Amino acid sequence: MRVPHIVRIGGLVLATTGFYTYVGQMVPQKEVQPPEETVLSSDMTTADMAKVGRRIMDGKGICLTCHTIGKSGALRFPDLAGVGGRAKTRVAGLSDVEYLAQSLYEPTAFVVPGFPPAMPPMNQPPFSLTDDEILCIIAELQTLGGTPNVTLKTRHRYYGKTAAPAAAPAPTPTPTGAP
Amino acid sequence: MFVGSMAMASSLASRMVQEPAPAPAAAAQAPPGGQPQASPAPAAAQPAPAKPYEEAQYRKVPVVGSRVAIWMVAQLHLLFAAFVLAIPIFALIVEAIGYQTGDRRYDRLAHEFTKLLSVSFSLTATFGAALTFMLIILYPKFTNYMMSVFSPTFLPYVALFFAEAFFLYTYYYGWGKFHPVVHLGLGLGLNVAGTAIMIIANSWLTFMMSPRGVSPNGAVLSVWEAVNNFTWMPINVHRVIANVAFGGSVAAAYAAFKFLQATTDEERAHYDWMGYIGNMVAISAFLPLPFAGYWLAKEIYAYSQSLGLTMMGGAFSWLFIIQAILIGNLFLAANYYLWLGMGRVEGQKSFQRVIKYLLIVIVLCFMVWATPRSIIATVSEVRAMRGSTHPVLGFLGVMSAKNTAVNILILTTFMSFLLYRRTGKVATVPWAKTGNAVQLAIFGGVAALVIFLGVYGYFVEATVRIGLSVPQVLSVLFAMVSITAIDVFLFRGASRTGEVRWGRIPAISQYVLIFIAVTFTWLMGLMGYVRSGLRQHWHVYGVIRDRSPDAFTPTLGFATQVVSATVLLFFLLIGVVFWITSLHDRPDFERRTDRS
Repeated sequence: MRVPHIVRIGGLVLATTGFYTYVGQMVPQKEVQPPEETVLSSDMTTADMAKVGRRIMDGKGICLTCHTIGKSGALRFPDLAGVGGRAKTRVAGLSDVEYLAQSLYEPTAFVVPGFPPAMPPMNQPPFSLTDDEILCIIAELQTLGGTPNVTLKTRHRYYGKTAAPAAAPAPTPTPTGAP
Repeated sequence: MFVGSMAMASSLASRMVQEPAPAPAAAAQAPPGGQPQASPAPAAAQPAPAKPYEEAQYRKVPVVGSRVAIWMVAQLHLLFAAFVLAIPIFALIVEAIGYQTGDRRYDRLAHEFTKLLSVSFSLTATFGAALTFMLIILYPKFTNYMMSVFSPTFLPYVALFFAEAFFLYTYYYGWGKFHPVVHLGLGLGLNVAGTAIMIIANSWLTFMMSPRGVSPNGAVLSVWEAVNNFTWMPINVHRVIANVAFGGSVAAAYAAFKFLQATTDEERAHYDWMGYIGNMVAISAFLPLPFAGYWLAKEIYAYSQSLGLTMMGGAFSWLFIIQAILIGNLFLAANYYLWLGMGRVEGQKSFQRVIKYLLIVIVLCFMVWATPRSIIATVSEVRAMRGSTHPVLGFLGVMSAKNTAVNILILTTFMSFLLYRRTGKVATVPWAKTGNAVQLAIFGGVAALVIFLGVYGYFVEATVRIGLSVPQVLSVLFAMVSITAIDVFLFRGASRTGEVRWGRIPAISQYVLIFIAVTFTWLMGLMGYVRSGLRQHWHVYGVIRDRSPDAFTPTLGFATQVVSATVLLFFLLIGVVFWITSLHDRPDFERRTDRS
């Protein structure tokens, strides 16, 4: 029996879309939820802060989209393994906390040689991390080869300088060209 | 219909979501008039209900949800709009060629293309209206905000829409009724109006991705800056080229459909030729498309590194593996069609010999492009590999290898085109040998340079590596332009070794054309998703947060299901368009009954 062309065409359209849908099911499936608001209590220990910091790096801060931990070779952005130790000596006159804070608030002030000046300030949209959330990230970064010692009472030169994000809507980035 | 619409609206209104989400500063909080307002009392004697006026933030669509409903309607609108924009571009070019050469076949072909326009135009407008109403109903505050930013662009948009309708119908119905130059002018007007409409609409959607011209709380500072945002111009260019490629492929699918139904050799010859032209337009536009894509990606990175990295290295990175499979299929299918097409030309054997080598190169490039950086593996496999990256194949999963593969793929397909163009012809100019040698040298030199830069990328720092894609792209563009220019002069006045026997092509070639059209459409759906989904939990990136229940980014598996459903709907509707268009050629009812 000869199958009419119109049926063959319909079959081809169905098979093609079906194949691409199948390919879509074969790749890793990850549903990305909007970042949750971080709850910080004033009596958190440095270890607690580091745990929260890691969660922020994985989620709201999306730090680990660009940075790796413990990888070498052709990297696009600096690997974070050992950053806690390196932070003490990176920039003369800056302590590890001050250097890490500078990297997060004002990332283009010092750019690791060989890498592009591409990191956005983490206290600004679309991340809008609070000062205390950034302290938690510093705590986590200190655990990578350094000595964690920050607390929520630690103060650095950027602390308290960011205007509180508006209740709604969030402040807009001010695009000025390539960072 | 009216009753149905009212019932649906009231059903949607009853699903109003009142969430404590922030509203745009510019959006009105108070009801019209500024005072709390009760529902109008049916009679003066009855007291007004005490329910206060509340503005909805979001409303829900049952079963599929608001996002999927908007997603599908927007995608269908865009697919028809792309088609309606593309057809006039090449109808005008084909008509102009016909006018210039005096060959009536071109005029007939251009007219045939425009027959598809009027029904598609109505469907585009219908889906556009549906999209607008659904935005107002489902996302009222966000839509209100967008209106507050872009209200000055709305009147020009409507005026251009009138102009487009005027030019479209006069162009179609005025076929053969005006002096050819006047008719070409109408076609030009149609193209200008249509493109201008697209450019205005692009400003709205690109603002959502890369906003500028607004204050930190979202208030408008400069409408022009909001329009001229980072991604506006790259999207304009990318869409014009992509629309032509897409429109060409759908027109070729129409020709394939008609070819398969044809009953005479004359019809088969005509639709074979039409399919060939449609496919040639599609692939010609498709070849420079990755370069426009590079520019768009570069601007996304320039606007926000985090947005760029979310696209290429974060939640959407695997989407580009799917994209590689789609584009690889397109290249393979396009080359297959060309090679099948060589069979209709007498004296094609010398070229068919090199086909297998081209095929090997294409398959190798395809494999490199589709190699993921990280492999889905079990825990033991990850341990054995010492990470999620394969120790050998992992080297092919990086941008240095992929950029090289794409550029070689484009060069190879270009060569395939060139061979097809030369089939059955012999250059007679005195410098033919030199010309061929120069072409070969350019091709070989550029291929070597692209591969060298790709390998070099593994040995340099990231800052240098990122910049290497630019000379790769520019050298391929140079090769395409210079080799084509030489070819045009080389084959001017060429002698023919054999005639093109239009219509003498295996039927499978027509299914290949339909496969290309479906793949193009699916690719457009997928890339539309990444462009829009990239904002993740933002309506307007960094300005207006999405606090609806759909604020999460779905899995790629789910996204591909929605894309497939939309593509199937589109082809169902395009089938209706083809059927309605074919009514034009049917004999009148009276004549049929007379004959019987």
